[in-house]
Amino acid sequence: MNQHMIEQYVAGRMSEADAAAFEDYCVENPEFARQVELEQRLRAGLAQVARGSTAEFVRTEARWKVALAAGVLLFICAGAFLWQRSAAVHPNILAAVALDTSRDIPSMRLALVRGAGNTPELPRGLVRVEIVGLFDEGYEYSVVLDRQSNTRTETVATLYGQQPSSSVTLEVLLDGDELRPGSYAFHVLKTNSREEPLDLAFVKP
Amino acid sequence: MDFIPGGELSRRIRAGDISAESELIRQFEPGLRVLLRRRTGGDVGLLQDLVQETLLVVIQRLRGEGIDDPGKIAAFAAQTARNLAIASLRKAERQRTDVDSEATERNADPSRGVATLAEDLEAALAVRALLRELPQTRDRLMLKRFYLDDHDKEIICRDMQLSEAAFNQALSRARRRFRQILEERGFTRRDLLSSGL
Repeated sequence: MNQHMIEQYVAGRMSEADAAAFEDYCVENPEFARQVELEQRLRAGLAQVARGSTAEFVRTEARWKVALAAGVLLFICAGAFLWQRSAAVHPNILAAVALDTSRDIPSMRLALVRGAGNTPELPRGLVRVEIVGLFDEGYEYSVVLDRQSNTRTETVATLYGQQPSSSVTLEVLLDGDELRPGSYAFHVLKTNSREEPLDLAFVKP
Repeated sequence: MDFIPGGELSRRIRAGDISAESELIRQFEPGLRVLLRRRTGGDVGLLQDLVQETLLVVIQRLRGEGIDDPGKIAAFAAQTARNLAIASLRKAERQRTDVDSEATERNADPSRGVATLAEDLEAALAVRALLRELPQTRDRLMLKRFYLDDHDKEIICRDMQLSEAAFNQALSRARRRFRQILEERGFTRRDLLSSGL
């Protein structure tokens, strides 16, 4: 006797003679009979559940579909958000200072000065921005430029992997003509570090 | 439980050994339940009645005249169960056409209805728990097609792109879990005969 015969018996697919022999064997072998009864009860239980609704059998599939739909929606929203952000970010606003960058272009020095009341104004055109602070030479920094308004802050440009030109200065090039008038701030973050960023504000007139 | 040969049981029961009767009940009851479950159409109250009645007939026979071949007690018990099931079916048929006092009384017996309802509920609850636990819709649909729609394994495997081994494994897992759920909920213990004989 094996599982296949149990299935045949419980499904009613055995001849009467075979079923009778099978039943005699069950009466003589209680452990085997328990296996058969389990199969009978499983079938009966499934039938009863299905009498109400077969939704139980596909329930999670429906959840899965909802989850998938939510995922697609989230993906679309995230895509739209990122597209909107990327449209607002101008890749040419910020640039690294190279060795051959001319010293003749206007510059703006940004530093945290205790008690300073005036926010620096950004000159027109291409500007060499000197960010003054304490930097670890040999380490890399990210420079993030945010535009600030009363209601929100949006990132305008980001420059990764910048090395300070000295232990107190980090320089970047900024194209002022690409910026709308308003308040801006640089955030300088040391890469792979939990150090507080250096935040420095300026105004584009 | 070790199997006790029918001849030995028969001899002890005839000698008035009560423990031998208990052993016979423990040994034969699961098989009789299988046999009678198939013939009582989900009426668990009737199933329990017929199991008890069968065992009573067998024990009384062994206490008294005995049977021709004591080695075939199991076959004798199975045939007794079949005969009682047929008789019960005939009686039910008669009751459908003749409204007599016995039938009315039987229909009015609330405990019978509750027992039937309880059994259905146990299996259904365990199945619901099982369905909730099965992580893949494929496994649930497989159960439905195999047990409810009576589709052949080969067809299910082909449609679901499963090997037969994978199918059997999933089925075996489901059975094992179903048994565990029943055991956890105490649905497998059946001492229905302890007070009946």
